[in-house]
Amino acid sequence: MFRFLLYVWNRFKEYFILTLLVIISLTLLTQNNNQQVQKVRAVAFGSFAAVSSVFYDLFNITQLKNENKDLRQTNAELMLQLSMLREQGILNRELNGMLGYEDTTSLPLTPATIVSKSLSITQNTITINEGTKKGIKPGMPVISYRGMVGIIQTCSDNFSIARTLKNVDLKLTVKNEKNRLNGIMKWDGEKLVIVDVPKTYDFDIGDRIVTSEISSIIPVPIPVGIVAKIEEEQTGILNLIHVTPFEEVLTVEHVFILMLVENEEKNNLELNFYNR
Amino acid sequence: MKLKLKYFIPLLIFFPVVLIQLTVVPFISIQGVVPDLLLIAVVYFSISYGQIFGTITGATYGLMYDLISGNLIGSTMLSKTVAGFVAGYFSSETRREKYLYTYSFSIVVLITGLIDAIIFAFFSVIDFNTNIFLALFNHALMPSIYTSLVSILVVIVPYRRNFE
Repeated sequence: MFRFLLYVWNRFKEYFILTLLVIISLTLLTQNNNQQVQKVRAVAFGSFAAVSSVFYDLFNITQLKNENKDLRQTNAELMLQLSMLREQGILNRELNGMLGYEDTTSLPLTPATIVSKSLSITQNTITINEGTKKGIKPGMPVISYRGMVGIIQTCSDNFSIARTLKNVDLKLTVKNEKNRLNGIMKWDGEKLVIVDVPKTYDFDIGDRIVTSEISSIIPVPIPVGIVAKIEEEQTGILNLIHVTPFEEVLTVEHVFILMLVENEEKNNLELNFYNR
Repeated sequence: MKLKLKYFIPLLIFFPVVLIQLTVVPFISIQGVVPDLLLIAVVYFSISYGQIFGTITGATYGLMYDLISGNLIGSTMLSKTVAGFVAGYFSSETRREKYLYTYSFSIVVLITGLIDAIIFAFFSVIDFNTNIFLALFNHALMPSIYTSLVSILVVIVPYRRNFE
């Protein structure tokens, strides 16, 4: 019997090892939300990110020149916008005061730098150099001065991993800024799309898309992109809205984390899209 | 001593390779398509040391990469395990030299790259609305070709050194 088993092992050991490793992989795939697995991941990427942040800076210097040029231009544009917004802000404060509304415009932001990017066509993630020590938690939005970048997925003490907009696992509730119509936006591996939009919804090419207040992850409107194309789905009753993001994951280097206080009541609800 | 070193080298190689993959490679991406340096390393070890060694190296590399990069844990492990296993078919005493030190290496990388990318894409982009052939072209063929082209360096660099 033992000889037979030994014979079988010697003859098929490659297949046994392959099967065993495939089973381990599939088991791990089902354990992604396990707390222990998350802890191991936090330690692993935290340690690695400390090294990669130094390495990334060395290759980053060449891109800083171009970014500075863009930033100067954006600064000038923002300065003009700011002066207009100041005027509107004064008027808004007066009207808010009259209506007795609370001021909710001061949102806490934490600056961070990207230390590494894991680029694949479907699962783009970035690692940033701020973590739980700065109060960052999974679920917080990552933005740049152009707009939405992604959502924090995992944190270690000094580093965090964020899923970017170009990650199939990130689905956002967004709305058309013009007519306040909501929809679910996702990355389908090739493009950002708002799915299952009824044809009766008034979407036009060039409309600005922002995050929706009804989102359980991002309760403030953050610019996401503009409508690039409207495609009719095969059913004939729904549209697929293609969105061009304001921020390109490939080129972004400096980001902000929106330190939003999580809404406990919302989090207790099972409808939270982040807990998929 | 030599046997121990054989097991130690892939682990030693992993960190610089993944460091380059996550920090330098994004700068050479074309339309979001990047070469997979880890796959090149897995194929190299699989042809050099055999199928079992390649399969285990693929699994280890995949798992460590999943932990570091934020990918779905197990997805890269699964694809790299199978890639290492397939690459092992090109490893034998008689064929090793042929596949390791000639441009055939890039062909092996292309084949395993396709298998690796298809398995990885299966776990990350299951969307029945997408055209399957178009999806395979974008998610599997393009990255595999790019990886295959980069793998030519593995053949050229040692060859030029020998020549000089």
